Amino acid sequence: MVVFAISGELPFGTFSAPSAGMMPKVVTALMMLFAGLIVVGARESPPLSTVDWSDRNHMALVVVITAAAVALYQPLGFLITMALLVFCLLVIVERRNALIAAAYGIGLTLFAYWLFGKALKSPLERGLLWF
Amino acid sequence: MGETLQSLALGFSVALQPSMLWYALIGCLVGTLVGVLPGIGPLAGISILLPITYGLDATRAIIMLAGIYYGSQYGGSTTSILLRIPGEAASVMTCIDGNAMARKGRAGAALCIAAVGSFIAGTFGVLMLTVVAPPLALFALGFGPPEYTALLVLGLIFLAYMSTSSLVRTLLMAAFGLLLGTIGIDVMTGHFRYSFNIPELGDGIGIVPVAVGLFGLGEILSTPSRQVTGEVIRPKLRELWPNRTEWRQSGWPIARGSVLGFLIGIIPGSAHIISSFMSYALERRVAKRPEEFGHGAVAGVAGPESANNAASTGAFVPMLALGIPTGPVTAVLMAALLIHGVPPGPTLVNDHPQVFWGFVASMYVGNLMLLALNLPLVGLFVNLLRIPYAYLYPLIIMFCVIGVYEVNHSVVDVWIMLIMGVIGYGLKKFSFDPAPLVLGLVIAPIFEMSLRQALIMSDGTWMIFLQRPVALVLLGISAALLALSAMGYLSRRRDWRAKLAAEAGKE
Repeated sequence: MVVFAISGELPFGTFSAPSAGMMPKVVTALMMLFAGLIVVGARESPPLSTVDWSDRNHMALVVVITAAAVALYQPLGFLITMALLVFCLLVIVERRNALIAAAYGIGLTLFAYWLFGKALKSPLERGLLWF
Repeated sequence: MGETLQSLALGFSVALQPSMLWYALIGCLVGTLVGVLPGIGPLAGISILLPITYGLDATRAIIMLAGIYYGSQYGGSTTSILLRIPGEAASVMTCIDGNAMARKGRAGAALCIAAVGSFIAGTFGVLMLTVVAPPLALFALGFGPPEYTALLVLGLIFLAYMSTSSLVRTLLMAAFGLLLGTIGIDVMTGHFRYSFNIPELGDGIGIVPVAVGLFGLGEILSTPSRQVTGEVIRPKLRELWPNRTEWRQSGWPIARGSVLGFLIGIIPGSAHIISSFMSYALERRVAKRPEEFGHGAVAGVAGPESANNAASTGAFVPMLALGIPTGPVTAVLMAALLIHGVPPGPTLVNDHPQVFWGFVASMYVGNLMLLALNLPLVGLFVNLLRIPYAYLYPLIIMFCVIGVYEVNHSVVDVWIMLIMGVIGYGLKKFSFDPAPLVLGLVIAPIFEMSLRQALIMSDGTWMIFLQRPVALVLLGISAALLALSAMGYLSRRRDWRAKLAAEAGKE
C-alpha cells in the first residue's frame, strides 16, 4: 500500500504499452495477493508464539554497533572505524576482556588494511584524519 | 565434437597459464575456507570478494569467483562431518550421516568419500557443461524478447516449484525482489522510481549489498556465539582412506548423485541445496538397509555431497548459455562478468571464447586442485574450526562492510546491506527463503525490458507470447507447474517438497 501511495507520479501506461509505473504496481498487487494467500493458509503454519526470539538482544546490539560504524566510516576512515567495530563487538556483545579485544581489533584491522589496501590495491576510506 | 575438443584445447591453453592457475588456486582455497567456516556461505563470500577482482580481466575474475563457489561445496562437508554444523546450506544432509560416521571413528573415511564424490561429480558436471552449453547457446541465439520474457517467467515458476518452502512464500519473495529491482531510473522513459532524491539509488539497488546483507549479515545476526559450540572431531591422517566396503557402498550413490545433481543444477532454484536433499531421499529409498541412514550410512554422505557439487556446476549451463541466473550465486557471478564488460548469454561462446572455454577448462583444473587440497589440509581446517565464533564473526562483519563499500565507494550501499541484514534476520525467523528475493532483484530489469520490447514488437498485443513457438512451450510448462502446485494445495496432500522438508526436520 505504501508503494501505491508513493507511486502517484509514475505513469502506469496501458497493458498494451506499459510505462514506468506498471511493473512496480503489478508486482505490489501480486505481493498483496500472495500475502493474502499466506494469511488464508495460516492455520497450517506453526503459531507465532513458537518463533524463538532468544537471539534478539544479540541481533539488536550487533545492528546498533554496525550502524554506528557505518555512520563513522567516512569521517573516521577505515583504520579507526574498523578497529572500534571489532573492539565494541567483542567487549559489548561478547563480554570479552578489553585488552585482548583491543589487541585483536587492532591486529585484525591492520591485517585487513594490508590485504585490501596494500596487497590488493583497493582504495580504502581514509577519513578526515587522512589515514 | 571435434570443434568442441578444439575449443576445449583453447580453454586449457588459457587455464593452464601460471597466472590463471594462481587465481584458480586462490578461488579454491578461499572457497574451501568459506565452506568450512559456519556463518558465511558462498554467496556472501563471492559478494565480499567481488571488488578484489576489479583489477583483473574477466577470465581471471570469473575463474577465481567460480572457484570460490565450487570450492565452498567441498569445504562445507568438513564442518558438517567434524562439527555437525553445516558449513553452508547444501551440506545440511551431510551432517546427519557424516557426523555419525565421525563418531564411530570413521571421520577420515567420511571426509575422503565426500572429497572423492565431490571430485567425480564436479568433473562429471564440467563434462556435461562442455557438451551441453555450446549447442544450447546456439539455439538461444534465435531468442527474441518474447522468448526471454517467457524464459524468465519459467525460471521464477520453476524456482517456486522446486523451493523447499511453500510455493506462495517463494513467489512472495520473488515478487519482493522484482519490486526492489524496479528502484532507479526507468531506462525506457527516464522516470526516477523510488529513489527519494538519493543519487546512489538512481542506478538501482545493487545485488552485492542485498546478497551480503541477506546471506552474510543476516546469518550472523541470527547466530549468537553461544549457539556455535561443538566438539571438533580431529581425524588422524592414516584414517583418511576408506576401507573396501566403504568404497563399494559409495560407488552408486556418487554416480546417482552426479546425474541427479547436474539435472537439478540446470533448473532455476537453490539447486545445490535442493539436490543434496533429493539425493539423500533417493539413497534412502533405494538402500537395502534404510534403517542405517541417520546412523552413519556411507551413501548418506556420498550421494548428497556428489549431488551438490554436480548441481553447482550444472547451474553454470543456463548462466553461460542463456544469460539467465538460476540462483543468487550465479546472479552475482553474472554481475561480475557484466562489470568486466562481458555479457553472459548466447553470444558469450562466440564473442568471448577465451573467457568461456578458459572458464570451463579451469573448472577441470579446479576440481583436481580441490581434491589435492582438501584431504592433506584437513588438519589446518580443523584448527580453523577451533577459533571461537565470537572472534570470527567480527571479522566477517568487517569484510562485509569493506566488500560492499568497495563496489561503488558508496556508504548508501553499506546502509542497504545493514537493512537487508535485518530483513534477512526477520525472514529467517518466519521461514522465508531469501534466495528468490535476490533472483527477483537480478531478473527485474531484464524481465521488464524484454516484456516491454516484446509488446513494442507486437504493437501492444500479448498474443505474441502465444504466437512464438518457443515462448508458447515455455509458458505452457510454467502453467503446468502452477497447475500441479495448485492441485497439490487444493487436495491438501503434502507434495514431495513438503515431505522432504519434514524428513529433514525430523533428522
